[in-house]
Amino acid sequence: MITTTPRLCLALAAFLVCSAPLQAADDIRLATTTSTENSGLLAQILPKFEAKYGAKVRVVAVGTGAALKLGENCDADVLLVHARSLEDKFMAAGFGSARKDVMYNDFIIVGPKSDPAGVRGSKDVIAAMKKIAGSGAKFVSRGDESGTHQMEKGYWKDAGAQPQGAAYVSAGQGMGQVLTMAGELQGYTLTDRATFAAYRDKIGLEILVEGDPRMFNPYGVIAVSPQKCPGVNNKGAMALMDWMVSPEGQQAIAAFKVHGQQMFFPDAKPALKPAA
Amino acid sequence: MDLIEPTLEAFRLLFTGDPQLWRIIWTSLYCSTLAIALIAPFAIALGFLIAKVRFPGRRALVVTVQGLLSFPTVVVGLTIYMLLSRQGPLGFLRLLFTPEAMIIGYMLIAFPVLVVFTLSSVQGADPRVYETARSLGAHKVLAAWTTLREVRFGVMASIFNGFGRVVSEVGCSIMVGGNIAGLTRNIPTAIALETSKGEFAQGIALGFVLIVLALGINAVLSFMQGEGGMT
Amino acid sequence: MTGHLVRIDGVAKRFGDRLVLSGVAARFLSGESYVLTGDNGSGKSTLMRILAGLEDADAGTLEIDGRTARLRGYPEWLRGEIVYVHQHPYLFDTSIAENIGFGLKARGMAPDERRRIVAEALEWAGLGHVAQVRPSKLSGGEKQRVAMARAKVLHPRLFLLDEPTANLDRDGRQRVLDLIHDLGQGENCVLVACHDQELIQLPFMRQLRLDAGRLTAFPKSAEKPVPARRAP
Repeated sequence: MITTTPRLCLALAAFLVCSAPLQAADDIRLATTTSTENSGLLAQILPKFEAKYGAKVRVVAVGTGAALKLGENCDADVLLVHARSLEDKFMAAGFGSARKDVMYNDFIIVGPKSDPAGVRGSKDVIAAMKKIAGSGAKFVSRGDESGTHQMEKGYWKDAGAQPQGAAYVSAGQGMGQVLTMAGELQGYTLTDRATFAAYRDKIGLEILVEGDPRMFNPYGVIAVSPQKCPGVNNKGAMALMDWMVSPEGQQAIAAFKVHGQQMFFPDAKPALKPAA
Repeated sequence: MDLIEPTLEAFRLLFTGDPQLWRIIWTSLYCSTLAIALIAPFAIALGFLIAKVRFPGRRALVVTVQGLLSFPTVVVGLTIYMLLSRQGPLGFLRLLFTPEAMIIGYMLIAFPVLVVFTLSSVQGADPRVYETARSLGAHKVLAAWTTLREVRFGVMASIFNGFGRVVSEVGCSIMVGGNIAGLTRNIPTAIALETSKGEFAQGIALGFVLIVLALGINAVLSFMQGEGGMT
Repeated sequence: MTGHLVRIDGVAKRFGDRLVLSGVAARFLSGESYVLTGDNGSGKSTLMRILAGLEDADAGTLEIDGRTARLRGYPEWLRGEIVYVHQHPYLFDTSIAENIGFGLKARGMAPDERRRIVAEALEWAGLGHVAQVRPSKLSGGEKQRVAMARAKVLHPRLFLLDEPTANLDRDGRQRVLDLIHDLGQGENCVLVACHDQELIQLPFMRQLRLDAGRLTAFPKSAEKPVPARRAP
């Protein structure tokens, strides 16, 4: 006959083994950009995922370049960024095992009410940027190789002009700080809609240019490769990615509103295979 | 993470006179040095007075200044920001996001360091120094100066400390300077930027440059003090 | 009797409820040397420090050459007229020559003249060989002589020496005593506070005893022939 104490131990052990699937899964480390974090989107949609999946998502918000670097260094499990060319390089180098389009938001040009460059209402972002360059008005740039900065550089290139000297203020900071600075200096800047919505009441700038399709800003979600990073929580990463592109996730993204306006537009497409 | 290559590259840029890098170094040195030069005479004099003179509220003043030592520099930055902002009382000066704003911040940050270290040195000074000087006919200011000379190594240490504190700080620099390329970007804010870009190695390389510069300055100053410092 | 006069009157000082000095009065004549005696804690140092302006008296006046000063708030013009030498003198962290010239520099004297006077003072004190040495390398007796030279070059009306011979060896003491004797010549007067019996008994010393807060003058002991020792 098995005595009482060992029987209790056996029961306890059996209980623990059987209850394993009900235990909380490992945390998921998500690296994203400061503008994404500042928009407030993640604070709203991630709890829905966490409730379903049973794991916490730890968000680290840094510059675009740093977020990708965290992925390279295996310090993140999954990335959410908006810099397509950099994402493609990341995938080509084999640092990511899977990438999916998930949503887009759009950029806008904001500036002082007085609009010295006269770009208000323009639907042509390149023409507007060219006008700003020629007007001598101040333009504040992210200057930090972020997704926003890449877009801005692309526009100057297409416009064939750029503000010179003291008119071009290369701030090397996040979107919030750059908006604040543009407000202080009463200059122009390129920003994503969501961050601007969060800062609009504080800085005294207005939306002057919007709606040009070239101002759409697509986001990608990338799972860090478990081959390159054996310790990474790939299961959690894939779960988050799958949820974000699922109808439920896409709906949650669309439902996020600031001042009654939708900020992000669901854009999930069939998964692209990483470059061979 | 390969550190050697970016560090070598950073030093190469340094010695070939890369204008951007040297502009960053210049901003760091100019703002820090000028701030210390402007605030040191006042702070050292105040440290001396607090050490020597009994006045009502002296104790409270000492506690306050010592408390300021732990004040986060970013809060100093925030305070100045709110004063200099367009909506702030001093907004008309248009000083925000300029090197001058950073210098103001550095002066406030270095102030308690200089006062407390000087105070401590003077308190540790032999009371006979001041008495001897006065008895020999020195007026109060000369006697004070003589006392400071006798504890000059403590006072120099306070200056080094204050300089070190401001040349390496980031929070205030970014808030009131804005990290603007060619204008208010100094070494620590440049490092912050490189880090946010994921260029960690670049950041470390700049850090090495800063350390080498700091050691160089300290070595020069130490040499100028002469060998008397070591007793 | 020609000579200048230093007169003090009504000097009082209280520490807490202890009345240390209660109406001290005395006259110091130039060319005379006085030794201030009294038990430990009798207030010798306090009196000297008050006369030097290093401490505030509660009451009292000091008169030099007819000019009066209150000792409750020490006037600037007295600084350098009365020089105090600590028991263990503090020498500044610079050369001996710089130390001796300190007061002269404070007065704004030109460097050349200063150098000349300092050189004379070094000879007087027998310290010519240590002019450029740093103070930490000197013996106790040498430091005392530096302090005395440093005071002498200012020609103060009154020298106040606090226990100048304490802790000195025989040779050191003798040299210091010789200098004290010389300081007391001419237009100056010297007030020495000490317990040193040998010094107290010196024939050129007039004794003042501080007791219960009051000063009593002792009669001068019989003159004994003293070999003339004049510095060049």
